[in-house]
Amino acid sequence: MPPLLKLHAWKLAGLLLLANLGLLAHLIAGHIKPVSEWNWTDILGEGGSALLVLLWIGLLLKSRPAGRVTNLLFCGLACLFLSLWMDSVDEFVQLPASANWDKWLESGPMPVGFILMTLGIYHWHREQLAISAQMEKRERLFREHRLFDKLTPLGGAEYLRLQVQQALQQSRAEGQPLALAILDLDGFDRLNREHGHAEGDRVLQSLTQLLLLNLRRQDLLCRLAGDRFVVLLPGTGAQQAQQIAIELQDAVRHLAYRSSRNGERLQLSASVASVLAQDEDGDSLLKRLNLALARAKQTPSAKRA
Amino acid sequence: MTIKGSWYERDSRFIAAHHQPALLLDLALARELDSHRLLRGSGLFHEDILSGQARISPQQFLQLIDNTRRLLDADDSSFLFGQRLLPGHYGAASQALQQAGNLQQALELLTRLRALLSPLLAPRLLLDEQRIYIVWLDACGCGEQRRFLLEASMTALASCSRWLAGERLPWQFEFAHEQPRYIEQYWVHLGEDVAFARQVDMMSLPREYLARPWPGASLTAGQVAEQQSLTQLEALGFSASLLDRLYDHLHEQIRETPNLDKVAHTFAMSPATLKRKLGKHDSHFQEQLDLVRKHVALHLYRVKGYSNDEVAAYLQFHDSTNFRRSFKRWTGLSPSALRQLLG
Repeated sequence: MPPLLKLHAWKLAGLLLLANLGLLAHLIAGHIKPVSEWNWTDILGEGGSALLVLLWIGLLLKSRPAGRVTNLLFCGLACLFLSLWMDSVDEFVQLPASANWDKWLESGPMPVGFILMTLGIYHWHREQLAISAQMEKRERLFREHRLFDKLTPLGGAEYLRLQVQQALQQSRAEGQPLALAILDLDGFDRLNREHGHAEGDRVLQSLTQLLLLNLRRQDLLCRLAGDRFVVLLPGTGAQQAQQIAIELQDAVRHLAYRSSRNGERLQLSASVASVLAQDEDGDSLLKRLNLALARAKQTPSAKRA
Repeated sequence: MTIKGSWYERDSRFIAAHHQPALLLDLALARELDSHRLLRGSGLFHEDILSGQARISPQQFLQLIDNTRRLLDADDSSFLFGQRLLPGHYGAASQALQQAGNLQQALELLTRLRALLSPLLAPRLLLDEQRIYIVWLDACGCGEQRRFLLEASMTALASCSRWLAGERLPWQFEFAHEQPRYIEQYWVHLGEDVAFARQVDMMSLPREYLARPWPGASLTAGQVAEQQSLTQLEALGFSASLLDRLYDHLHEQIRETPNLDKVAHTFAMSPATLKRKLGKHDSHFQEQLDLVRKHVALHLYRVKGYSNDEVAAYLQFHDSTNFRRSFKRWTGLSPSALRQLLG
């Protein structure tokens, strides 16, 4: 069982128990209808809806950690499911006309479910705002989870390209300058070979945190590829962009990164460059940025890679 | 002259599963992929690989690459795999490479020991007055995995030579495929000097880097390791793949208008068998012949500076229209357009 589902085992067990109790009550009190009396449209409609709600419950529990919001959403969906479930069971089992309780089982959970769902979605919205605040500097204006890099996790090159395109249009419309800064570790290849690729991955993750700390609220950090990061700097002139790039470089040099194996300090250094967007498209801007970095890498200290 | 049975084919089980395939597996496991799903369809189990005894065929390796590529679903998989590939941990062959005294020795080892170091893509070393060229040839009918393997192999050689030389070498890269969407991976892992939609998959470097001594080389240990690797190849009974041997043979015979019957005879099999074997590698005789003729023609234009008529005559074309038509089939360009491109 996936670990997240394990967290919710008791909830699922409870739901299963209630559904079975309802079924048992019907079977004890009534008798099964002959097939000729089955109403197929009702069976498909009610049974199908019940199954879909069950699928939602599965996806919800699989994707969310336990907690208040999850519980609310779960209880809401569970009520909807029970109501639809009883409705479907009703199609197969004929209860004596004197029994009234089945109406309560069918219609009772439905409004409770909707109220709980509404509460759940409201709190989910609050939660999302809190998470978005944490995502600041990693995403801007739109979200596309498929474009996120699996390691760091920052937006990848594809996400950056979309963002650059948008920022270019915006800067043209508002007459604001737009700059890009780029940072690439020196000797990352050697670090991987000497300390292993797992250590290299950890360096990239630490570096991500470090760079995020050194950026302003409106900036966007993306991982272009490998050990190369790009920062989108809206409303920033050439001089300020270069200043930010140099500060990032200093931050990397002063980071006391310690290896996970025996805690020794690994001295990191990075090459940086920055460019100011001109009248061009995103691809040529990124190309120019990378060439600027290649020139910066020619300096003797970076060459010893 | 006959060449008998001294090659490997797509289904020859000789690649140690704990060598190159294990590197790929480790890369995927580090990204928390499930080993069962990775090995699905490859006829392999994780326990087999851990035993250190399992040998797999190029075909199984290609299946493993296909699975990994799909499951990792990341643009940098081939490059990360490449960074780990060379010199690698493949016993004596890796040790020999690790001890190479300079780039020339390393490249000669890489080509001589290619069955051990690079079984799916065969590297070829070419020289002219200014530059050295490493051309990567499909050794096993790599099909869809070709681009992945090219990215990995070129990254491997660039990264390994940088590591052993202690400096970044100014490699230039050319790929036959179109520029992919994820161009920045090429920039970061290979450098800015990358060209696409070219005729040949190759990387090149000024000649002056060939003889520059590399730090940390050990001559004696290197020679011993090389000897051990050659013994290993002898025990295997081959040092190259069928396509690889065929390429060499066609290259030698290119002026004698080789045909299927003659070549099959040289390889001591019936034409039908050769046809079937090439089919197994997703190819056919004409394709292999065209490939060699294209490479010879490009070499004559680029290095020898031959004219159209001279190249046509060299390749035994007596009719220039016919040559132009064939050339267009090999390269997609007319001879004059290509010469313009080569400058």
